[in-house]
Amino acid sequence: MIRRRYFSALFALAFFLLASGQVRAGQNVWSGLVVATNVAKPQPPPAEMHHFEGTLKRTFGYNQFALIGQSRKALETGEENWLASSKHFSLHVDARGATRDGYRLNLQLFQDRQVLLETDTTLKKSSPLVIKGPQIGAGQLLLLLVVQ
Amino acid sequence: MKTFEENWTAWIDGELSETERAEFEATLEDRLGAETERNDALKLGAFLKRELQPRAMGNEEFFHHQLRERIAHEEATPVEESRPILRETWWSIRRLLWLGATSLAIFAVCTYFVKREQPAPNQSEYLTQILNSRVDPSVNPDATVSIFQTKDDKVTVLWVDGLKSLPTDYAAK
Repeated sequence: MIRRRYFSALFALAFFLLASGQVRAGQNVWSGLVVATNVAKPQPPPAEMHHFEGTLKRTFGYNQFALIGQSRKALETGEENWLASSKHFSLHVDARGATRDGYRLNLQLFQDRQVLLETDTTLKKSSPLVIKGPQIGAGQLLLLLVVQ
Repeated sequence: MKTFEENWTAWIDGELSETERAEFEATLEDRLGAETERNDALKLGAFLKRELQPRAMGNEEFFHHQLRERIAHEEATPVEESRPILRETWWSIRRLLWLGATSLAIFAVCTYFVKREQPAPNQSEYLTQILNSRVDPSVNPDATVSIFQTKDDKVTVLWVDGLKSLPTDYAAK
């Protein structure tokens, strides 16, 4: 019995130690289409933006960030793809593998059926990605990707 | 009817009867030469009988003893060879399993500590990286792309200027 426990403990220790350096699977990636505007009484931003709302305000000069489309994808293999879309815009995200603490992504921003922008990125857990899109009226389209 | 060679051999050995011997000797053309040859053959036979006697064995008992030992050994050897060899070895299955598991654990512990001792990656490794960006020049010929990162909350911004402005209804959900 003692030997069996020792044997199990050895394997558990080995597995834990080896797995600790591997890619984390099963994380969520939130992607959002946001229209930033300046209004007299701004509405609170989506919860996913709370910790970097100040940066967005300072960087883009708007006080309200309204969500017009979003998607949350749980990544298991790091090879998934998904779409976050609004009426006229859609953001296609194609995950192309996991890195040490994030994912390699290919992003395509569509305006209706036309590709406006394509980019390849390594999205890290501790570093959200914000893409400045086209001007919409008095506001600004922003694309956000956050590993949660 | 005997051949000449048979009669010749029997004549030399003195095995012919009187009648046969007389008849055979009558057929010999060189009687004197034949007699000489027979005498030489008899002398040679006598010499060989005398000189080729088996030698007396001085250590007969020892020789027999050695012979019996050899026979006993040769009879015993095939029986031993036919038996499967079942030798006890230290490398039993259980010990191999234990050794493998222990080696794996030692390897894992070493790997863990080596990884811990590696220098921490610099700040840029924790930040989202833009590898490349493309804006269709036929749709937005004046578009420019720039990238920067904010220091306080590590936000990576892909700043695209020059995209065509759109009316407000494009902000619809």
